[in-house]
Amino acid sequence: MLDIQNIGINFGGLRALDDVSFSVGKDEVVGLIGPNGAGKTTMMNIICGVYRPTEGKMFFEGNEITRIPSDRICRLGISRTYQIPQPFYAMTALAGVVTAVLNGKKRPHMCFSDAGLEASYYLEFVGLFSKRDELASNLNLYELRMLELARALATTPKLLLLDEVMAGLNPVESERALEMIWSAQEQFGVTLLWIEHVMKIIMKAAQRIVVLQYGKKIAEGPPEQIVRDPRIIEAYLGGKH
Amino acid sequence: MVKFELKRDRVLLRWGIEKYEWCIEPRYWRNPVIGVAILLVLPLFFYSYPHLLTMLTTANLLAAIAIPLSLQILGTARVNFGPQFYLGIGGYTAALLNLHLGWSPLFTLAGTIIVCGSISLLLSPITWIARGLYFSLITLILPLAFLDLTYQFGDIFRGEVGLFGMSPLLDLGRVRWNYLSYYYLSLFLMLLYMLTADKIGRSRFGVSLAAINENEDVARMMGINVSKYKVFYYVLPSILTGVVGWFIVHTFRSFAGVTYLPLEFMLKILFIVIIGGRAFVYGAVPGAYAVCVLEEGLRGFGHVSHWIFPLVLIALIYVLPRGEGLWGLYHKRHPRDYFPKLHVRRE
Ligand SMILES: Nc1ncnc2c1ncn2[C@@H]1O[C@H](COP(=O)(O)OP(=O)(O)O)[C@@H](O)[C@H]1O
Ligand SMILES: [Mg+2]
Repeated sequence: MLDIQNIGINFGGLRALDDVSFSVGKDEVVGLIGPNGAGKTTMMNIICGVYRPTEGKMFFEGNEITRIPSDRICRLGISRTYQIPQPFYAMTALAGVVTAVLNGKKRPHMCFSDAGLEASYYLEFVGLFSKRDELASNLNLYELRMLELARALATTPKLLLLDEVMAGLNPVESERALEMIWSAQEQFGVTLLWIEHVMKIIMKAAQRIVVLQYGKKIAEGPPEQIVRDPRIIEAYLGGKH
Repeated sequence: MVKFELKRDRVLLRWGIEKYEWCIEPRYWRNPVIGVAILLVLPLFFYSYPHLLTMLTTANLLAAIAIPLSLQILGTARVNFGPQFYLGIGGYTAALLNLHLGWSPLFTLAGTIIVCGSISLLLSPITWIARGLYFSLITLILPLAFLDLTYQFGDIFRGEVGLFGMSPLLDLGRVRWNYLSYYYLSLFLMLLYMLTADKIGRSRFGVSLAAINENEDVARMMGINVSKYKVFYYVLPSILTGVVGWFIVHTFRSFAGVTYLPLEFMLKILFIVIIGGRAFVYGAVPGAYAVCVLEEGLRGFGHVSHWIFPLVLIALIYVLPRGEGLWGLYHKRHPRDYFPKLHVRRE
């Protein structure tokens, strides 16, 4: 579905990504892990067309998407959440999702108030229906994350990119968030590319894991193999434990 | 193939796979009707004071400049510090076409729209490349540069004196009737702009506008073609502002760059936008009337007004709710969002 080929990018003198290649198949859950500053978010920004890669190519469902702007990427069926939530703070929760409904995939015969109805469905799904008229600036971190999920789902993505959804959530909340992501995958049939720092969760969730370090891919494989790989224990887990 | 459907509380418009809706529930009409009625009756009290009628006409025109500016600030997510640039272009285009080629007001209107449209289209890429201070500086300099041009090419623009003797839009034969008719025409123009801005604000384009104003990158990721929106919301308000210039030319029948292009005029517009409420186009009307009345009231103080005027405005800004202005006082019980609450209707 998504095919990343030899992506590299420079920020000034910094080589943020270097020759990274991997792919994501349909209905797969792929985890992207690595220490802080490894270039995971940068990878996501490149896929979404926020940054242009210095070299390399990307394909989505057979079409090249290397130099395509974000809005067209979105309409092709890729959507994302942000590591630091970026809601529309001065808009109500419902209005934020309505934006995504009206501008994501072209929905025939949908006027403004129909979009409100459709958007409320996504809000209900993530459990925020009762907060629909709250300004996003009044929501807490968990609710913001869920709002972002609703907004991302409302553009009807085929591939959903999740950037550290669990960061900053307490165990109960992350359990609920995990449930939510599972049912989203089930109900909406999305493929997930999932960046996560909480190892326990990503090891449970992902079918395949890609490990980045200093902008290079150092390993790829199923979770069982990754946890046993000595290089990764040293590079990633070793530093922390 | 366009199809209309009339429902109990709304008009539906279908066009291919598109569907638009216009809510026509009478309970939403009360306040607009009261507001418009006040504005319609107001000049009748001032019938024998032409200078007050001129003041009210000016207020309408200032509001008609501030409304597109609000729309532009939202749609491009940038503050244009020189909206009067297009006022100048529109005015001079209309005046020159009328004086030298003898075009009637209707044709000069078309000319104004075309000239303002093409110039703003040519300049619109600055909304892509320039952000924040750079955009403000560029837009600030444009009208001043144009003012310079009106002096340099004095034989065309007649710098200090300006152009005069353009044909009137309407001539009822009596001076007072003319003043009154100009008030109503300017009111009509302003309400037309208001209706346009209001319709945009309450539609699907309004949410996209608000999203762009909040965060361009995220808006783009939601599938909004931000570049296209920014061009549109740079060009449309520019044309609307140019049309105000055309209106001034054919009603006041004189037009000089020195009146409209300098910084002071722009400050007045920005103050209206700020006091009126940044995100609410309706605020432009009380804002414009407040500024005009203030200006008229302080006229007797001579030079002092240069100081009092900004001070009073600063005090007002300080007292009024942040970013919501006069309109915010009326609107303050509602959450501060860019458009009325969305109601989820289940059928
Ligand atoms: N826009 C940018 N300009 C310059 N450097 C950047 C930019 N974005 C990210 N970087 C750098 O790229 C590296 C990778 O960052 P990031 O992708 O955010 O890491 P993480 O894996 O923690 O998400 C970091 O060293 C960061 O400082
Ligand atoms: Mg990151």
